This record gives sequence, structure tokens and C-alpha cells, in this order.
Amino acid sequence: MLKIEHLTKTYGDVKAVDDLSLHIHPGEIYGFIGHNGAGKTTTLKSVAGILRFDQGRIEIGGISVTDSPVESKRDLAYIPDNPDLYDFMSGIKYLNFIADVFRIPADVRQERIRKFADIFELTGDLGQPIAAYSHGMKQKLAVISAWIHDPKLIVMDEPFVGLDPKASHLLKEMMRDHCDAGGAIFFSTHVLEVAEKLCDKVAIIKQGRLIKAGTMEEVKGDDSLEEVFLELEAE
Amino acid sequence: MLRVLLKKQLSEVFKGYFYNSKKNKMRSKGAIVIWFVFFVLIMVGILGGMFTMLSKALCGGLVQAGVGWLYFVIMSGIAIVFGAFGSVFNTYSGLYLAKDNDLLLSMPIPVRTIIAARLANVYLLGTMYAATALIPTLIVYWITAGVTVPRVICGVLLFLIVTGFILLLSVLLGWVVAKISLKLKNKSYVTVLISLAFIGAYYFFYFKANDLIRNIINNADVYGAKVKGAAKALYLFGKVGEGSLIATVVFAVIMTAICTLVWKILTRSFLSIATDSGKTEKVRYVERKAKERTPFGALLAKEFSRFTSNANYMLNCGLGTLLIPAAGVFLLIMGRDICKTLEMVFSGRTGTSVVFLFAMLTMLASMNDIAAPSVSLEGKSIWIPQSLPVEQKMILRAKTCVQVIITGIPMLFTAVCAAAAAPASVPVRLLLLIAALVYVVFSAVFGMTIGMKMPVLNWSNEAVPIKQSGAVVIVLFGSWGISVVIAGLYMLIGYKIGAAAYLAVILALLVILTLILQHWLDTKGAEDFATL
Repeated sequence: MLKIEHLTKTYGDVKAVDDLSLHIHPGEIYGFIGHNGAGKTTTLKSVAGILRFDQGRIEIGGISVTDSPVESKRDLAYIPDNPDLYDFMSGIKYLNFIADVFRIPADVRQERIRKFADIFELTGDLGQPIAAYSHGMKQKLAVISAWIHDPKLIVMDEPFVGLDPKASHLLKEMMRDHCDAGGAIFFSTHVLEVAEKLCDKVAIIKQGRLIKAGTMEEVKGDDSLEEVFLELEAE
Repeated sequence: MLRVLLKKQLSEVFKGYFYNSKKNKMRSKGAIVIWFVFFVLIMVGILGGMFTMLSKALCGGLVQAGVGWLYFVIMSGIAIVFGAFGSVFNTYSGLYLAKDNDLLLSMPIPVRTIIAARLANVYLLGTMYAATALIPTLIVYWITAGVTVPRVICGVLLFLIVTGFILLLSVLLGWVVAKISLKLKNKSYVTVLISLAFIGAYYFFYFKANDLIRNIINNADVYGAKVKGAAKALYLFGKVGEGSLIATVVFAVIMTAICTLVWKILTRSFLSIATDSGKTEKVRYVERKAKERTPFGALLAKEFSRFTSNANYMLNCGLGTLLIPAAGVFLLIMGRDICKTLEMVFSGRTGTSVVFLFAMLTMLASMNDIAAPSVSLEGKSIWIPQSLPVEQKMILRAKTCVQVIITGIPMLFTAVCAAAAAPASVPVRLLLLIAALVYVVFSAVFGMTIGMKMPVLNWSNEAVPIKQSGAVVIVLFGSWGISVVIAGLYMLIGYKIGAAAYLAVILALLVILTLILQHWLDTKGAEDFATL
């Protein structure tokens, strides 16, 4: 589903991501953890096709994000770490805008909007301008807009930040359902307990380099993910 | 603390001169110097030159008639209108709507320090514009009436009094706008309507300016006596410029008192206005059948939505939409007479009126610069279009298209009016019409190109990309420069080939330039946009 080969991205003299390779298969929830500035957001942005990288290759469903950016994005949804959405639109206008761009038929989108907005208890606020939304409401709207076009791969940067406990729980269920239906999810998080319980696979990045990756059992063994992470960070 | 905040404010205003956001690095020293030279050229060369000519036209006659004070009343009035023009929304958005208000208010910074820093920013911008009128006013007066120590001292104080008054006016009007905005639905349209009323009045006087100047100079003693009798305060104010120490002290004291009062009101109301989210009614969502659009249609609708939801954007970048048809009506009524006069005045250069009509249409079209700030307005939400499965050139084309539609429709009407008024054959009239419409496309593509070359994405106040960005300044003044060149070149050499051939050459050039710029936007521009 997602193939990252030897990804390298440099900012000036600093290597933000250094020769990173990862493969994510359909059905997998793949967690991406690392300290601040480790290179997580750079990697996720590169996958989403909004950051030019220096070396390497990224393929989504076998399509290169650099050679065929439009095609590769058709099966992708990206949620950034801060949901800066279009403040001048109402929630429903924004969802319809995304649905139009992804060419989702009216009846299908309507059903999906109804379903996900009800799940997140956002239906009553869809007519409000996004400028009036709280951070959590914007995050919920960003999640709905990602799910509305039923992408194969969902890339999320810290998706649980700003969500209330109920919404976080619902999002986790949605992530699992999505992957059970053959999709894949690649997301970064600092909440290691969530990663440990939710992810099928996990990758740890430090100073731009992948220092450990694999199934949860392979990475943590008998320890907790937190213990493994702190141990690797200390090295 | 005030210094730190001021530095932050100013660095935001002038960020584009020091920082290349596209390359994500500081500009070279040479580039910074070039940018500032360009800025000074516009402020001193164009605006300063315009007001110097006006000062020279007025000063001699009025000083000779012994009413030099009237000269200062008139010129200060112009400086006040010019300085405060547009500052209202700058104050409103800069003072009450700044995105970092919450951050600053949460920090151990006294509220009055935050206000002082914001006000200093408003003062600086207002003064920058007013100075282009006030400095020539003073210099021309000193040259005409002679330099004395009281005149220089009082002149400097007059400068401070007038710029202080501009600040007061901007703050008071900004405060009114802020109060109204908290209560209104559809505030962007209401704000635009109120502003247009002011702008209408401004243009009414502007178009009457020549008659007024002539009238004032011819009847200087009569008007002088009238104003002196009816409005003693204005007379006294004018005397400040003439070097009256008593008048200067009186006005300095009055200004200080008013400033203190406004400061008190502002410090009391700032917190409640800046943190009030408004009490407008919640919009209830009622599910309706969604209307499907093509991806391009969706992008276009999004751009229209951004434009119509933002009063600042509409006023600063879309004013031409109303002025263009107004000019069309004007041409229907007066066009033929004006053309006849022009042909008479420039009888050696046949076809001047047709070329001048075209230059006027281009100048009107350039009043809409919607495309120039549209990339910058994406701000932090730029990840949305970048991550969508559409060709990036489609996004830029949608942005360009908005300007073409908003300007093109009224331009079609006005160009038809201009063609009807032009003393030319049908093919030349058709050429005029086509060239005007092609210019609309060129103007939008040019704006988009400059906007793409100089994006400013990290702003905390939307006035920065809309009004203060380098892209907007270059597009606005650059386009006007093109109009001047079109008219000027005809007067210099173009008349030798005649208006028809000249317009055909200009049309061909516009088509070529538009295609070149569009090609750049579709390729390099789109590539750059994808990773801004």
C-alpha cells in the first residue's frame, strides 16, 4: 500500500530524514513514533506529496508520489498536526468541497456525511462557519473529510490531539474498521499507550533515522513500548 | 517590552522585504536594498510627486491672497483622508482581530503595552501615507513663503498633530467597525457597503478637485473670510502651518487631551472586544441535497467564497468591480465629448482618444487585484490544496479565473460603452473591445504570477497579504505603470502608425505575455505551489 524507499530530506545542513525505508501493507495500522523534531512530520508530509524530498522514492499503491502526484493522491487522505481548515467556509461547505474534488456522488457523500457527523456529534454544527469551531471540532471535521472519500491510505499527524476521550475512542474504532476493510493507516503519535494498543506495526525514528520497525511484538518484546522507546532514545 | 512587541509588529509588516518565504530564507542584502528602493520610488516618486504638483498648484495663489492658512487646511484635509483611507480596517483587523491577541494576552504583558504596540503600527502606516502629502505641503510652503524658525517648528508640530489626528480617526472608526461587527450577520457585505459610501464621497470630491482648486484660488479671499467667520477652528488650525505659535500650542494641547481620552476608552474596551466571540445566532444545519461540482468548479466556488466572505479582500482587491461599470455609464454620457476634446487638443496625433480610452480601461481593470494575494491568503491551510488529487495548475487557474470573471463581466459592459464612444471605424472599436478584455486576462495572470513569486504564508493578520505584501504593491502600481506606458508610447511614437495598428500591436503583445506567464504558472509556478 505504502512503500517508502531510502527517503532523505535535508533542511540546509540538517538531515531531517535520513535514508528512511518503510513498507505498509493493506490492513495495517502503522504507528510512527519519535521525539519532537525527529523527522515524523517531514516523512508524513513527503508521503502526502506536499513536501519535496531530496532522495528516495515513495509509492502509494504502486504509484510514485513524485512521478504521478495526482493519481497517488486519489487514494490518500492526509490530516496534519494542526487542523487549519478554511475558516471562511461552513463545515458542510468544506465537506462538500472535499467531496467535489474527490468526485464523490451526491447520494454517497450525503450518506457518509450523515454517518460520520452523527458519530462525532457534529451534525448540528455543520452549518456553522469553521471559524466558530473549537480545536476539537475542527479536528473532527478534518477526520470526517478524510473518511468521506474512502481512501485506501490515511496519513495522520498526531490525530488524537484536541479530541475529547469519546471522540478519541470513536476515531480508534474507525481506524480499526478502515484497516479491517482492507485500508491502511500511517500515523504519528506521542501517546505510546495508544500506539501500543492500536497499532499492528510501529516504527521508531530518531534524528531522521529509522532505529527500529516491525510488528508490535518484534519491537517491544516483553517490555512496554514506553520502556523500549526510552531505552532507544537514551542510546 | 514595548520595543519587543513593536519589533514583532514591524517585522511582520516589512517581512516580505527581508524574507523570501518561497525559498524559506532571508533575502540577500542586495535584494533587500532593491526592494526598499522600489518601495521608496513608489512612495516618494509617484505619490510624493503627485502631491508636490498639487501643493504647487495651490500654494502660490493662496499665499499671495494672504490666506496661506487655507492652503494648510486643504492639504492637511487631503493628508487626513489619504492617511485614514483604508486604515479603518487595518486598525480593526490589526488591533482587535490579530491572530496573536490570545497568545499575547495570555503572557505577562500589560494590556496597555499590547495596545500601544498595535497603535504604533497603525500610526506608522497612516503616517507613511500622510507624509507623502504633508512633506511636500510643508516644503512647497517654505519655498514659496520663505523659511523662518517659527514656520519650521510649527510645521514639524503640524505634521505631528495631523498624523496624530489620523491615528485618532483610524482608531475611532476601527472601534465603531469592531462594535458593529460583533452584532452583525453578513458583516462582510455591510462593511463593504458602509465603506463604499465613504469611498463614493471621496471620489466625488476627487473628480471635482480641479474645479475646486481653480475656484478656491480665484476666490481665495471670499472663501478665506467665509471659513474664518464660520469655522474659527479651521482658521486657527491653518495658522499652525503658517508659524503661529499660539495656534500651535492650542492645537497641541487639544490633541494631547483627545489622545489621552481615546487611550482611556481603548484600554477599557480592548479586552472585551478582542476576546468577544460575538453573539450572532447559531446557524442551524438543515440537510439538503448536495450539488455536485467538478473539481475545478469546486475550487472556483471556494475562491469566490473566500472573496465574498472577507470585507477587507473585497474592498482592497475588488473595488474595480463597481468602478468599472460606473465608468461605463460615465462614458455613455460624456464619452463622445471627451473624445472630441482629446482629438482637438492632440490634433497632430490622430486616434489619441481611442488609445486613451484603452489606457483608461486598463487602469480600471487593474483596480481589481484579486489574484495577487490569493496564494498568500491560503496561509496555514495551504496543505489542503496541496494534498488534493488535482493538478496544482488547476488550483492556480481557479484563483486566476475568479479575477477574470469578477473583472471581465463589468469590463465587457464598459468596453462596449468605450467602443460606442470612440470616434473610430467598427473594426477599431471591435479591436478596442477585444484588447480591453484580453487585458483583463493579462492583468489576472500577471497578478497570479507575482503572487506566486512572492507568497507570504505566515501572517497573523490578513491585512498583511491583502494590503501590505510586496506582491500587491507591485501588481497595483506595476499595472498602472503599464497603462501610463501604453498611453505615453502612443504620444511619443505610436501615433505614427495610427491607433488601429498601435492597438493591434498592444493586443498581440498582451496575448504573447499572457501566454508566457500562463505557461510559467502551469509549469514552474504549479511546481512551486505544490511545495510552498
